[in-house]
Amino acid sequence: MSQELNLNFLKGLEQEIVLDVLYRDQMLRKMEEERIRKLKMQLQELQWKGSKSTSQEYSEKLCARCQKSLGVLMNRGAVCNGCSHRVCPGCRIILNPYTWKCTVCYAQEDIKAKAGEWFFEERVKKFPAEGKHETAGTKLLESYQKLSNISVIPPTPPPFSESTSGVNTVEHDQRKGFHRSVENLFLSFTTHIKNISKSQNDMTVDKYLLTADYGQEMELRKERRSQSDTAIDIATRVKLAPSLQRLISGAQDGNGIAPERNCLQKVVSSSPLSSIFSAGIKRGSLYSLNSTCSEAGNFEEADVSGEIEFAIRYNFKSSMLEIFIKACKNLAYGEERKKKCNPYIKTYLLPDKSPQSKRKTSIKKNTVDPTFHETLKYKIEYSQLEMRQLQVSAWHSGTFRHRVFLGEVVISFESWNFEDKSTQLLSWYQLKAKAEQSEDNMINYSGELLVRAKLISPSLCNNSEYEDQMKENRKHLFPLAATEDKTYPGYQLHLIVLEAKNLPAIRPDGLLNSFVKSCLCILGRRDMKQRTPVLKKQAHPHWKHLFVFSGVTTSQLQQSCLDLTVWDQSTFGLRNQFLGGARLGTKVPTRTSDATSQADLQWQKVLSSPNSWTDITLTLHSNAHVFNF
Amino acid sequence: MASATDARYGQKESSDQNFDYMFKILIIGNSSVGKTSFLFRYADDSFTPAFVSTVGIDFKVKTIYRNDKRIKLQIWDTAGQERYRTITTAYYRGAMGFILMYDITNEESFNAVQDWSTQIKTYSWDNAQVLLVGNKCDMEDERVVSSERGRQLAEHLGFEFFEASAKDNINVKQTFERLVDIICEKMSESLDAADPAVTGAKPGPQLTDQPAPPHQDCAC
Ligand SMILES: Nc1nc2c(ncn2[C@@H]2O[C@H](COP(=O)(O)OP(=O)(O)O)[C@@H](O)[C@H]2O)c(=O)[nH]1
Ligand SMILES: [Mg+2]
Ligand SMILES: [Zn+2]
Ligand SMILES: [Zn+2]
Repeated sequence: MSQELNLNFLKGLEQEIVLDVLYRDQMLRKMEEERIRKLKMQLQELQWKGSKSTSQEYSEKLCARCQKSLGVLMNRGAVCNGCSHRVCPGCRIILNPYTWKCTVCYAQEDIKAKAGEWFFEERVKKFPAEGKHETAGTKLLESYQKLSNISVIPPTPPPFSESTSGVNTVEHDQRKGFHRSVENLFLSFTTHIKNISKSQNDMTVDKYLLTADYGQEMELRKERRSQSDTAIDIATRVKLAPSLQRLISGAQDGNGIAPERNCLQKVVSSSPLSSIFSAGIKRGSLYSLNSTCSEAGNFEEADVSGEIEFAIRYNFKSSMLEIFIKACKNLAYGEERKKKCNPYIKTYLLPDKSPQSKRKTSIKKNTVDPTFHETLKYKIEYSQLEMRQLQVSAWHSGTFRHRVFLGEVVISFESWNFEDKSTQLLSWYQLKAKAEQSEDNMINYSGELLVRAKLISPSLCNNSEYEDQMKENRKHLFPLAATEDKTYPGYQLHLIVLEAKNLPAIRPDGLLNSFVKSCLCILGRRDMKQRTPVLKKQAHPHWKHLFVFSGVTTSQLQQSCLDLTVWDQSTFGLRNQFLGGARLGTKVPTRTSDATSQADLQWQKVLSSPNSWTDITLTLHSNAHVFNF
Repeated sequence: MASATDARYGQKESSDQNFDYMFKILIIGNSSVGKTSFLFRYADDSFTPAFVSTVGIDFKVKTIYRNDKRIKLQIWDTAGQERYRTITTAYYRGAMGFILMYDITNEESFNAVQDWSTQIKTYSWDNAQVLLVGNKCDMEDERVVSSERGRQLAEHLGFEFFEASAKDNINVKQTFERLVDIICEKMSESLDAADPAVTGAKPGPQLTDQPAPPHQDCAC
C-alpha cells in the first residue's frame, strides 16, 4: 500500500517532467516552422524572379530562368525534365553525368529535403489520415490543455536565450502551484492516445494538409478557399446572343452609336468586343477575339475536378500584379472519351472581361497534371486591386480551336493582404464549375475614370478673394478648363476629370482621340452638360479638366445624377464612338457590387463634406443606353 | 531530483537555426539497457553510473556536420517500461530512424528486440531506418549475448548492427552517424522516386535538342 502511495506521488512529478519536455518540443517545433517558412519564402522569391513570363512575347526563345535570349540554331538551350522549360546551360545544376535540373527545380527539390517534406510524403502512404504537422507532442499538449480545468500556465519557454534551463530554475514556485493540476495528465495522455489510435478518422482528414504546410498558413488557405467559394463569379458565361451574332451586328453598325436608348443592337455595338472587330484588326486582337468568342458561347464544360496551385503577389515597385501559375493535378479530361487533355490556364482580372484583361499560359500536351511555372502579369495601380477579382480558369485546347472548360477559381482582392508576405506563398485551390449567372450581373467593363470632386459652400463662392484665387489656380492647373463659371447663388460643384485607364482599344495602335461629356440631371431643371476638349492620340488620356456646376443645392444633388461618358472622336466626322460611362449619384444603372458602392461612398463624401477634394475612381461601363449625355 | 535532470538539458542547441535538415530519431529498448546514458554520452559527452529512470519521453538536440550538410538531430529518448507504451509509441510516427538497444549483459533485453521491432513495424512509417545496438560492451566479463547472436538477429530483422558502450564511449558517435547516413540515403531515394527528371532519364543521356557539354558557361 505504501508503494501505491509512493507511486501516486511519483506520478505527479512525472507529469510535471513530461510537460516540460512537451513544451520544449513545442518551442523547437515553432522554430522549425519559422525556418521552413523562410525557406519557402526564398524559393518563392526565386520562382517569381526566374519564372517564364508570358508577357514577354518570345518567351520560347528566352531561358526560362535568367531570361537570357537563346539562339535559333546555336545555343538553343535545353528543356528541363522537371518543369519542361527551356533553359540555358548556365541555369542548370548538374546532378550526375546524365541528369541535370534547372535552378528552380533544383531549389524546389532542395526545399523538399530541407523541410522534411519527403518524409511526410512517404509517411502518408502508410498513414493517409495523419496530418502532416500533427505530432504526438501537439496532440498531447492539446488534450492536456483541454482536459485540465485550470487555465494552463505553461512554463513559458524562455525566449531563445543562451541560458540553460531557465524554465526549471526560475519558475519553480509556479510549477509547484500547478503541480496538482497536472495530476491527471497521464490519464489524459492515455485516453487521448487511445482516441488517436482507434479512430484515425476523427482527425481532420484534409487532403490539403497533406501537401501543404502548417498552422497560420492553413488558416489562410481555408479562408481563401471559402472566399473563393462565395466569391462572385462574375461574367463568365455570356448568356446573351451567340457570339457570332454579336459580332455581326457590331460590325454592321461600325463605329458609332445611335442616340436611342434600350436598343440592344446599339448596345452590343459599343462593347469593346465588337469595337475591336469593327476597327482595324491587329494580330493580337484577332487572336484574343477568337478565344473570347469561344468563351462567350461555344465551349464545352467538362466534369470539373482537380486542383490548381498558384501564388499571387503585388510588386509595388513595378505596380504589377503577378500570378505565378505552378501546376494542376487531377484535371478532368478535356475529351473524356479519348482521355485527352491539353490544358492551359487563363486569367482575367474581373470585372474586366475584355481581351486586354486576359492572360494565358502555354498549352501542355496530354496531361491532367500539368506543370506550368509561368508568371502572368498585370500592370495595375495598387488602389485599384481591391475592387478586382482574379479569375483563374483551366481549359483544354482541342483540335480546331475546340475548347473545353476544366474549372476555375475566383479570388476577390477585397480583403487580400498583399503586404503580408505569407499571402505570396503557393497554395492549392479546388477548381470549380462555372457559376450560373444572370444577365443583370453582366458587366461590360470598359475601363476606369478618375475624377476629383468638391462641393463649394455658398459663403466661399461669394468670397471674391477665393474666386480670384480659384481662377488663378485654374489657369495654372487646368489651361483647358471650361470658362463657364458665372456665379449663381447656392453651392458650386467642382469636378476635375483627371484621367481614364484601360479604355477599350478601337484602333490598331490603341490610341484614342478621347473626350469626356458630363451631364448633370437635376429634377425639374434643364440638364447641365459640359465636355472636355479632345485629347488626341492618347491611350491613357489625362484631361485634367475642371467642370463647374453652379447654383446647386445639396438636396438637389442628393436626388440627381451626374453622368460622365467617355468618347472617341471619329476621324471621319461620323458619329463619335462611345467608350464607356459612369454615374455619380442616384439611379446607378449597373450595380457592380463593390466597385460602384465604393464610388457611391466617395460621392456621398463629396456631398457631405463641402470644400474638400475627394478622389473617385469610377468603373466605366460599355452599355451606352443607360447614360445621359 | 528535478534539478538533476534539468541540468542535463541545454537550450543552446535547440535555438540554433543554421542547419540544412532536421532528422528525428527515437531510441527504444528495454528499461536500463543504457538508452539515456547513450544519448547523454552523444549529446553532452557525459556519463553517470547512477540510474535515473526516464519518465515517459524526453529529447535532446544536436547539430552535426555530415556529407557537407548541417543536420540537426532531435533525438527522442523513451522510457522502456510497459506502462509508458502508449506515449512512446505515439512518437514512432514522427521518427525517421530508430536506435533499438539491448544490453549485452542482459538476456531478457536481447529477447525483447523482436517485440520492439514489431512495434516499429506497427507504429512507424514503412521506410523506418533501424540500427540495432548492443550496449555496455565494456562489461565483457558479464556478457551473456555474444556479438555473433546480435549480428545474426540484426541480419534477420534487416537492421544494421553495432556493439557500443556509453560508459567508455565506444561506437556512440559512429552509431548516430551511420543512422544519419542511411536516413540521408533514404531521403535521396525518396526524392529521386518522386522526380521525373531522374526517373525519366535513368539509363542514358537525356534527349535534349542540343546535348550541350555540361560545363559550358553562359553569360547569365
Ligand atoms: N557499464 C556500463 N554501464 C552503463 C552503460 N550504459 C548505461 N549504463 C548504466 O546502466 C544503467 C541504466 O542506464 P540508463 O541510460 O538509465 O538506461 P535506460 O533505462 O535504457 O535509459 C545506469 O546505471 C547506467 O549507468 C554502459 O555502456 N556501460
Ligand atoms: Mg532512460
Ligand atoms: Zn539562363
Ligand atoms: Zn526545371
